[in-house]
Amino acid sequence: MTTKSKPTDGYSGDRPILECVGIERRFGGIVAVTGVDIVIRPGEIFGLVGPNGSGKTTLTNAITGFYPPNTGTVRLAGQDITGAAPHKVAMLGVARTFQNLALFNGMSVLDNILLGRHIHMNPGVLRTALYWWAARREEIENRKIVEEVIEFLQLESIRHELVDGLPIGLKKRVELARALVAEPKMLILDEPMAGMNQEEKGYMSRFILDARAERGVSVLLIEHHMDVIIGICDRMLALNYGEMIASGIPREVVKDPRVIEAYIGGSHG
Amino acid sequence: MFYRLSGVYHTSYASDSRIFKVPADRNLAVFFLLFGLAAPFIVPSIYLNSYMLPWLIWTAAALGLNLVTGWAGQLHLGYAAVMAVGAYSAVHAARFGVPWEFALIIGGLASSVIGSLFAFAALRVKGLYLALTTLAMQFIMDWVLHHSPTVTGGSHASLQSPTLALLGQPITSDAGFYYVAFGWCVLVTIFMLNLKRTGLGRALVAVREKDYAAAILGVNSFYYKILAFAASSFIAGVSGALLVATFFFLATPEQFSVAVSIQALAMVIVGGLGSIIGSYFGVALILLVPGVINNLVAAIAHTLGAQVNVETLAHIPNAAYGALIVIILLIEPLGLGKLYGNIREYLMVWPFDQFRK
Repeated sequence: MTTKSKPTDGYSGDRPILECVGIERRFGGIVAVTGVDIVIRPGEIFGLVGPNGSGKTTLTNAITGFYPPNTGTVRLAGQDITGAAPHKVAMLGVARTFQNLALFNGMSVLDNILLGRHIHMNPGVLRTALYWWAARREEIENRKIVEEVIEFLQLESIRHELVDGLPIGLKKRVELARALVAEPKMLILDEPMAGMNQEEKGYMSRFILDARAERGVSVLLIEHHMDVIIGICDRMLALNYGEMIASGIPREVVKDPRVIEAYIGGSHG
Repeated sequence: MFYRLSGVYHTSYASDSRIFKVPADRNLAVFFLLFGLAAPFIVPSIYLNSYMLPWLIWTAAALGLNLVTGWAGQLHLGYAAVMAVGAYSAVHAARFGVPWEFALIIGGLASSVIGSLFAFAALRVKGLYLALTTLAMQFIMDWVLHHSPTVTGGSHASLQSPTLALLGQPITSDAGFYYVAFGWCVLVTIFMLNLKRTGLGRALVAVREKDYAAAILGVNSFYYKILAFAASSFIAGVSGALLVATFFFLATPEQFSVAVSIQALAMVIVGGLGSIIGSYFGVALILLVPGVINNLVAAIAHTLGAQVNVETLAHIPNAAYGALIVIILLIEPLGLGKLYGNIREYLMVWPFDQFRK
């Protein structure tokens, strides 16, 4: 990688933006994730891989508050956010996309992305009633920020269309836009390239790199495409059966026999 | 029609976030606003006060229900109970000597408080279970009204409403009542139109469509559900109070019974969940069409010279009206508002239909 991560948002390079220590999450008797430690530094793109059911999504759910960890702590820029409700985690600066999309299908692309600005806005009943005096300026200011991201992700031509009818590649891009307009400290992307072809993957990778370069966002990227992980991640972690099996520089991690074992299944040759 | 979208370009975000982005829509709205203002001089007083006035107040009420059911997605079968709270609070306040302006606000706030109790049910249960919970609350309210003479006015269970007076002006004329209803309906409509284009409306739709997706965007669904119930109940309360003050002049528990709650929900569903213009249509259909069909059937029977007995005469309109609702929902499950939207979309580019995306 030529683009080197640089400190942003006034955080010193050493202070982690996201820190998970000893995360464990059980569902009844099933241990979905156990003993996972992650440290993500500002401006870093951190890859998370593992076979299906290895606990990647459970881990993101533990971080974002959907399934709080049974043990362990999650710290965002030094602040303990373990077990905080999802909307609080979002307000503190974690944005996320979902593996199987969580867009509002009945709304336009623009409204979906505007919702990403929610944490920076202050909607209320009286402000709505007195729109011209109390809400218009805020709406327009946020619209400007949304339009910057729409331009950045090249969504201009579809901004007024309903999300429902868009192809999956565009939907994934709209969801990325919605996460980016929130100006998060930490961006969690859950398989943003699932079901994409090579060209779309290239576009998406470019967008993630540009988002880091231009907006200084730190990224936790869950992906199955190893070429993408090797191509754009600074460091990575591999999970299997909810446990860490290898972590470090992607080129080295993918050579690890345990990773090969987990992914390809046994080195019988 | 006639290239309504031709040459309509927005060059600023302010103009792109106007309520009516297409000039033709704006002209239509202005036309109906002017018509509404001129109605007392055009429409005969009998139609003005027995059709247009209840239609307008019920539209305001239906818009309030649409806020909680259409926008926030919470089924509400106790809406009439919430209206009753507002009506009785306002009438009692007015009888106590509070000026009507404040009495209406008191009614609205009282409804907000009680309506927010409904919201606490909504935080625990969803969908059909919520419908049943709100229905149960409606029954409780019915029981309370029937068993508390101090509230409902003693043995005859009717409470006389004092003469409506706004800004120190007693209102007694038909036109006066009409303008009060018209003003309230316009206010609520403007609020709803603004809701469509602000963060509050988007947050409510987010809560309705996918609560987990809303949460990850920082939308506190707990807070927004309560807000939706409180705002909708305020509208319900004032509408209920105005209904008594300008139309019934007498508050009785039957005006706010279970049947009325179901009727209100029918207005919103037939009109279209989340559609503002749809609420106008929905209320017109539920409220006015039975009378129209009644007259129609009587007129047809008269011209044919057929002897129709009273019972049949009473049943035909009911059957026809029920069938009409079924037909409309079969043609367009999203209601009359969507039907209007389809026609509007079609006419927008007519006759160059092929250019539509």
